[in-house]
Amino acid sequence: MADSAKIWLNRINALQPQPLRILNVCGGHERSLSQAGLRSLLPEGVELIPGPGCPVCVCPEEDIYHAIQLALHEKVTLVAFGDMLRVPVNVGKQGVRSLAQARAQGADIRPIATPQQALALARDNPGRQIIFFVAGFETTLAPVAAMVAEGIPDNLLLLISGRLTWPAVALLLHSGEIGFDALIAPGHVATVMGANEWQFVVNDHQIPVAVAGFSPESLLAGFWSVMRQRQERRLFVDNCYSELVTPQGNVRAQQWLQQVFTIIAANWRGIGTIADSGYALQPRYIAHDARQHYPDYANDARHRAGEMPPGCGCAAVILGRQYPHQCQLYGNPCTPRSPVGPCMVSDEGACHIWWEHSPVNGV
Amino acid sequence: MCLGIPMQIVAINGYNARCQAKGVEREVSLFMLQDESVAVGDFVMIHVGYAINKMSEAEARSSWELFDELLASHHA
Ligand code: SF4
Repeated sequence: MADSAKIWLNRINALQPQPLRILNVCGGHERSLSQAGLRSLLPEGVELIPGPGCPVCVCPEEDIYHAIQLALHEKVTLVAFGDMLRVPVNVGKQGVRSLAQARAQGADIRPIATPQQALALARDNPGRQIIFFVAGFETTLAPVAAMVAEGIPDNLLLLISGRLTWPAVALLLHSGEIGFDALIAPGHVATVMGANEWQFVVNDHQIPVAVAGFSPESLLAGFWSVMRQRQERRLFVDNCYSELVTPQGNVRAQQWLQQVFTIIAANWRGIGTIADSGYALQPRYIAHDARQHYPDYANDARHRAGEMPPGCGCAAVILGRQYPHQCQLYGNPCTPRSPVGPCMVSDEGACHIWWEHSPVNGV
Repeated sequence: MCLGIPMQIVAINGYNARCQAKGVEREVSLFMLQDESVAVGDFVMIHVGYAINKMSEAEARSSWELFDELLASHHA
């Protein structure tokens, strides 16, 4: 560990902090702090809770089902970020469980890493409809908005399942007993949307916030900040990632988000509908909206069910109410090699991250 | 997806830039940074192929170290 990180640890210890539950809402944060082993370094009583930081995990089951059926039954090429391909949907034994399985059965499905790859594919194949299945948070939707604003060819359609980060935190703050005392706000979401977006947590709920980057130093600085804010009873949104984050964020990117998307009530897998939490294409882009072009393959029953696989505790994990290892299926049979739920599939899923870093198994 | 990768700009052509990080080169869009002055040699944070902000060399280097560790543990 770098010296600067040790300095922050010393500062934290010098505070002699009270027990504190610190929520993070970013898979990147969870990965970095797990990797650095920060949980075991912090004073006793300081808990680090992984929260709703995995867009793939909360992508509605019916949307994945819809994408699978589109790829199987329509003359299209479907592209999606690699993580999405292995996420299972709930179907009977004979059914196609994931985009990866649909691909194995001959559907034209390709993993991509950037929106530009979808664009290039559409340009190179003007006679073919390309459907870009977009799951992600603001950090992904802003680039997609930029791509659309810059101009996309007629044969590129979008199946949007994007989500906003803050409404999930707002939901946690409004659902009965609040399970955390401090928040580490996501550094790259804040780079795009601005640190001010998190002010409501301080103002309305008297919970300290620090925006953090991804190095151990930045995360530790964030932990120190929220502990100190609590002790001194002086709460604010601290910016511990000022290298990239400003109060306002990338204003131009926000303009594109507004130009290209409307904000809608949206379903989060296993959690339910959250008001003002989803992106949908603006009517002016209807010609590029895959939801308008093709019938909805997910019937009403599927829309209503939309749950995690049987026995999978992902919903509780995402809401920060259960640690991954407390799920009865964690490790047996659920592992990254044969995941039962989305939290074990995605690189940003807490179960996957915990399994890799084995903070509990002590390996 | 939210972790992001810092890269250094090698060449710029309109809104497209060739960027490199530790010997790997990629095409990156500068479309989201059009209100900033961006030049060859600058360091930028990349998300899904788009630069979302400029950053200092020092910050880029510390992120690369983090990445090395993450990758090492990922493939361990
Ligand atoms: S361990 Fe597997 S089954 Fe359990 S919550 Fe995580 S992803 Fe779901």
